[in-house]
Amino acid sequence: AAGSGARRPRAGGRRRPTAAGTAMPEGKAAFREVLPKQGQLSVEDTAGMVLCKPKVLPLKSVSLEKLEKLQRAALEAARPEGAAPQPQP
Amino acid sequence: MGLELEPLFQAWSCFRRRKFRQCSDLCAQLLEGPPGGQEADSEYSVFQAAWSLKTRALTEMVYVDEIDMDEEGIAEVILDENAIAQVARPGTSLKLPGTSQGGGPSPAVRPVTQSGRPITGFVRPSTQSGRPSTMEQAIKTPRTALTARPITSASGRYARLGTASMLTNPDGPFINLSRLNLSKYAQKPKLAKALFEYIFHHENDVKNALDLAALATEHAQFKDWWWKVQIGKCYYRLGLYREAEKQFKSALKQQDMVDTVLYLAKVYLRLDQPVTALNLFKQGLDRFPGEVTLICGIARIYEEMNNISSAAEYYKDVLKQDNTHVEAIACIGSNHFYSDQPEIALRFYRRLLQMGVYNCQLFNNLGLCCFYAQQYDMTLSSFERALFLAENEEETADVWYNLGHVAVGIGDLNLAYQCFKLTLVNNNDYAEAYNNLAVLEMRKGHIEQARALLQTASSLAPHMYEPHFNFAILSEKVGDLQRSYTAAQKSEEAFPGHVDTQQLIKQLKQHFAML
Repeated sequence: AAGSGARRPRAGGRRRPTAAGTAMPEGKAAFREVLPKQGQLSVEDTAGMVLCKPKVLPLKSVSLEKLEKLQRAALEAARPEGAAPQPQP
Repeated sequence: MGLELEPLFQAWSCFRRRKFRQCSDLCAQLLEGPPGGQEADSEYSVFQAAWSLKTRALTEMVYVDEIDMDEEGIAEVILDENAIAQVARPGTSLKLPGTSQGGGPSPAVRPVTQSGRPITGFVRPSTQSGRPSTMEQAIKTPRTALTARPITSASGRYARLGTASMLTNPDGPFINLSRLNLSKYAQKPKLAKALFEYIFHHENDVKNALDLAALATEHAQFKDWWWKVQIGKCYYRLGLYREAEKQFKSALKQQDMVDTVLYLAKVYLRLDQPVTALNLFKQGLDRFPGEVTLICGIARIYEEMNNISSAAEYYKDVLKQDNTHVEAIACIGSNHFYSDQPEIALRFYRRLLQMGVYNCQLFNNLGLCCFYAQQYDMTLSSFERALFLAENEEETADVWYNLGHVAVGIGDLNLAYQCFKLTLVNNNDYAEAYNNLAVLEMRKGHIEQARALLQTASSLAPHMYEPHFNFAILSEKVGDLQRSYTAAQKSEEAFPGHVDTQQLIKQLKQHFAML
């Protein structure tokens, strides 16, 4: 059942992280590939929750900015007329 | 008297210096005076000159480039009489965003809009609301403050701006359109052109504008391309796209103009024929080599068709012609950011800053790029400036949302929690913030809160896969396999290529089979 290296556990199978290859080789060739000959090596790789990604904001085009400016100006022009009757009732 | 300027000249000077309000006032004074001083040999009097100048000044005050103006209301989407096929072939329609061949970044990296397109680096009036791909989606999308669409474009922004222009003239409209004898004005081409623009842009009265244009083009014996383009514009606004197409084509035959090509392409885009529009642009480029607006039009179409790599190439072409093109720089910058090259994106955004763009969005992007390019010294000050420059609550919410990511990145989960909370204070419909808060709550072990937040997020933004997927994970953890399965399926619908979702579904199916 020994797979190579870190391996995703099969769905429905048992997840049993076991220590394997505890004896580290010494010397210059310290970093050799470790292929465990017995036991099961698995890294628990459950799907975690995901965050939504950061958003780079789109810049506004000139015409959009002008449109928004016009709308804001229109709102402000309309407001004094609308605001005046409010205090009466 | 000798030292004073001739009033008409003064008004004209104001007009040239774009002091339109002043110009309009001066013209009004001239118009109120006695209509004397006529020169017998001239066809047009001083009175008429002042009148014409005032119409032009009033038009300029509210003028917005018509090529950029586009708003598709819900009624237009439902009652689409121009659709040829119910289901278009892939690569031929703007309404099928899922068919991505361009090798653009996946939704796992780059957020998508409600229509399933990756978010773009630049918004124009037509891209702002995001065209929903199907009717079902348009109805399904909850009407938050930002996604609310006008019922028809006739009730949309045009009409609102029309009323806005009335507010700028408190003592009644300058020209009473119903009393105007249009055929008389149509005889005088110089006055008629200014009058048409006034009716079209300032009054937003398309029907009268069309009447005037029709009379004028008749008077010009159908030989003036300008009037044909104007008639085409009116038809476009009235939704008569095929008629508009005819007018623009006829105008192009008489006089080859870039503007006309752009209008014609706009018609094709509205008819959902992006390939025709692309061909039109490419033919236009043969006649006007290196024309920036045409190249940019091609890039926009590719971007809308989700073909990001071609879009990026054309945006680069734009920059070769015009290295200060804001749209191209912003789009290339955001592409680099989402293809894991924040350092390069940073250079593009810095270029924009050097060019004098100074707003909330730019500083927010600079802050994000700095953070992901590991230039931590500039990150927080950029975000501070972005918060300072934010013009409304939605922009503030966006900045706090991104700051939350910075906090997550440095591992300060308390700060992240507060940032996402502040996002929601500023914009209560921010689905991404709900989702991220849920993830943080889940880390703390508050399952119930996380569940509620995820449900809110998925109802606010059904197009995002994250809330569905997270809900599936959460339900699976607490043993509610049925709910987990339905949520996972929704997640797969939103993002078909998501490996974790597929695995989860496989796992759940095995569970069900064992039962």
